[in-house]
Amino acid sequence: MNLLEVRNVTKSFGSLTAVSGVSLNVAPGELRAVIGPNGAGKTTFFNLISGFFPPTSGAIVFDGRDITAVSASARVRNGMARTFQITEIFPEVSVYENVRVAAEVAAGLRLRPWIGRRHGAEIARLVDEILDLTGLTSKASRLVGELAHGDQRAAEIAMSLALKPRLLLLDEPTAGMGDQETYDITSLIRKLHRKGGHTIVLIEHDMRVVFHLADRLTVLDQGCLLAEGTPQEIAANAAVQAAYLGNSE
Amino acid sequence: MSANKTRYLKLGVIWLLLLAIPLWLPLFGGYQALGTRVLVLGLAAMSLNLLLGFTGVLSFGHAAYFGLGAYGTGLALKLLTHSTPLALICGVLLGGVAGALLGALIVRRRGVYFAMVTIAFGQVFYFIAFRWNTLTGGDDGLRGFERQPLDFGPWSADILHSPTLFFYFVLALFALAVGAMGFLLRSPFGRTLLAIRENERRARFLGIPVEMHIWLSFTLSCFFMSLAGGLNALLNNFADPTMLNYTQSGEIVIMIVLGGMRSFWGPLVGAAVFVLLQDYLSSLTTNWMSFLGAIFVVMVLFFPRGVLGMNWPEAFRTLRGVLRRRGRQESGELP
Amino acid sequence: MTDLILFNVTNGLIIGAFYVLMALGLSLILNLSGVINFAHGGFLALGAYMAYTIAPYVGFWAALLLAPILVALLGLVIERLMIHRLYGRDPLYSLLLTFGLAFIFEDVTRAIWGATGLPFSVPEYLSQPVSDKFFFITYYRLFMVAVVAVAVSGLFLFLRFSRLGVRIRAGTFDLDTVSSLGVNVRALRSFNFALGIFLAGLAGVLAGGQLSLEPTMGTSLLMPSFVAIIVGGVGSLTGTLLGGLLIGIASGITTVFWPAASDAVIYVMMAVVLLIRPRGLLGEEGLLS
Repeated sequence: MNLLEVRNVTKSFGSLTAVSGVSLNVAPGELRAVIGPNGAGKTTFFNLISGFFPPTSGAIVFDGRDITAVSASARVRNGMARTFQITEIFPEVSVYENVRVAAEVAAGLRLRPWIGRRHGAEIARLVDEILDLTGLTSKASRLVGELAHGDQRAAEIAMSLALKPRLLLLDEPTAGMGDQETYDITSLIRKLHRKGGHTIVLIEHDMRVVFHLADRLTVLDQGCLLAEGTPQEIAANAAVQAAYLGNSE
Repeated sequence: MSANKTRYLKLGVIWLLLLAIPLWLPLFGGYQALGTRVLVLGLAAMSLNLLLGFTGVLSFGHAAYFGLGAYGTGLALKLLTHSTPLALICGVLLGGVAGALLGALIVRRRGVYFAMVTIAFGQVFYFIAFRWNTLTGGDDGLRGFERQPLDFGPWSADILHSPTLFFYFVLALFALAVGAMGFLLRSPFGRTLLAIRENERRARFLGIPVEMHIWLSFTLSCFFMSLAGGLNALLNNFADPTMLNYTQSGEIVIMIVLGGMRSFWGPLVGAAVFVLLQDYLSSLTTNWMSFLGAIFVVMVLFFPRGVLGMNWPEAFRTLRGVLRRRGRQESGELP
Repeated sequence: MTDLILFNVTNGLIIGAFYVLMALGLSLILNLSGVINFAHGGFLALGAYMAYTIAPYVGFWAALLLAPILVALLGLVIERLMIHRLYGRDPLYSLLLTFGLAFIFEDVTRAIWGATGLPFSVPEYLSQPVSDKFFFITYYRLFMVAVVAVAVSGLFLFLRFSRLGVRIRAGTFDLDTVSSLGVNVRALRSFNFALGIFLAGLAGVLAGGQLSLEPTMGTSLLMPSFVAIIVGGVGSLTGTLLGGLLIGIASGITTVFWPAASDAVIYVMMAVVLLIRPRGLLGEEGLLS
């Protein structure tokens, strides 16, 4: 059974249709990349999956349950975490605190006016584990707002991991990064996928990254589904080449 | 461990200073009620700061809940009960429940819009207190009640005639409320509020139902605020409609900014500075309002981070640098 | 009874006209700069006192135009010196700044002109009743409504057809784009602020002819103006116009049946609007929220 099923979703803003009749199925454990030229509707598509806004038509099914009408925060609590193209973090608190809030919310403690010793220790262990995994242990007490761009991105991913998500949505994880930072984040994603067994859907601009990482690709163009397949299939697809050449950067 | 040690040390000093107010305040020419007033307004400012500084939501109508607490307590003493604690509970319930209901109505608004809506709704209560003459005494204010001595079986405390005993009564409740707030802010729930302040979108996408948490914060803040209002009514044995007016809200907000809205104790410091300044200046001049206005303007333009939020060492270094440079220029040295 | 209702509805309309002038000015500033101008009531009072002071020298008609211009100039200076430094910061700060200015205005007005009410006399022929039957409708009241109508239509025509006006409207929705088109946003905001203050000054002169002059005369109009904006919908000037008239008439009608509630009724209207239609009658969702 698929973990995520997007069924024929459309999103219109007034007379502008940003996403038009796109479907997508993601199996558990898969790493899927959504690619497409600028303005293809990739981020809008992500916003529909994560519940940023509701689709004009179509349905979204997560783990067998129709979540089309479910709020964004409830989708997260159901196991769907996301990062943003422009990193969204809590700038004026430490890396540790950033991850801890996420871990506490995921553990269902968000309304607790106190935290017991047992829960506290569990949370602390989880936070340490994730900081270690994302390579942030040495920066745990720094304010996130003061970190370099790549580390902020890693912190955002760390927060998403603390949610123990069943599906991880990454919106352009390497956007605006240098070669070294891109390499680090790419290896982190690969590690999460291969070793951690995470199911990941990501939007990516950098073709080198995509072809190395993804199991399957989904290509959007002008809001429509253009092609879907393995990296090799997509590389050989004439329509995809035309779309990219036509919009060459 | 050492960070914890400094924290406990700091807390110890603060509470010792507060406990000793009746001893040291008269040395500086202050009278007892002044110390109590600082505590009451400090509690009010800290309550609002739960929302403003620690949730990042701008309510500009919180005086309404201060006033509701005051009128609730006063009316209960006048009409219902001779027990001071019971009357306080009535006041707290009145303000808190009103806050909970209105909060639900406005919790989806943000920023300036939220500020406007809270101001406007605050004025409803002002007009009720102002117009409902038969119950509230209208423009003249609510009179005809007095705080009653506390009765603990074999012991009793005459907080009516002993200002010092009343001070400690207020301090005890202040400690309870402030302790609860501090405890809350260090809890998982408190951290979700901080998360909302820092980045609402991120908070939502961590699975925090933002509206619900803002509502909770608003409601809690209103409960604490009404406690402060109730204590204020007991302090003066009087309540008047200007307590509910938006100008009072503005004064509480400026106390917070004065002390530093990102700091837990900042609002208390701000309230102390404000109350003492008001007491001093209004005895000197009839143009207190202009001074008050000037405080607002200067704070906002030059010290937006407040007394406790300011980087004092850096400010001193800058100042020293400026002075030194000027000194050099005057003595003709080359920089 | 009919007379009483007519009397109060007329009253409500006239009060509504004041709310509209006041709220449109506030709305202009709020929409383009995100500033809630608490000092707006202070500017209104200043307009009235300014007219009172210069009318003996220049006459009523010149004062009607000159006083608002003087107040607008003062507004421009204050915007340039202080308020513009807070654009883009947490709205808390501009709110507190204008709040402090409101205190200073009130105190300074009181220091200069005194706390007791001053009469501002309008030309004799304007203070006559229109007819014996409707004694409460003086020519001055008709005149006030007419001036407000002219000012409001002028404002709307200006915003729709002049280049500056179109830019102000565009800036309400997307200031970044307006800026990237090469418009000097700083100057645009300053002009817009002065325009808003001009409307407050005008409302002040008109109110001066009807009520007596007091330092707090503007403050009492401030809250209803907020309500007018919220009821009409933040971001929509037409909404503000509608909101102002609606709450004016509503409080007029309430005065007939339950005078004590005439202040509160507008807040009840606001609560109802927020419950049923949170963005206001003509507001855009998401603006300034």
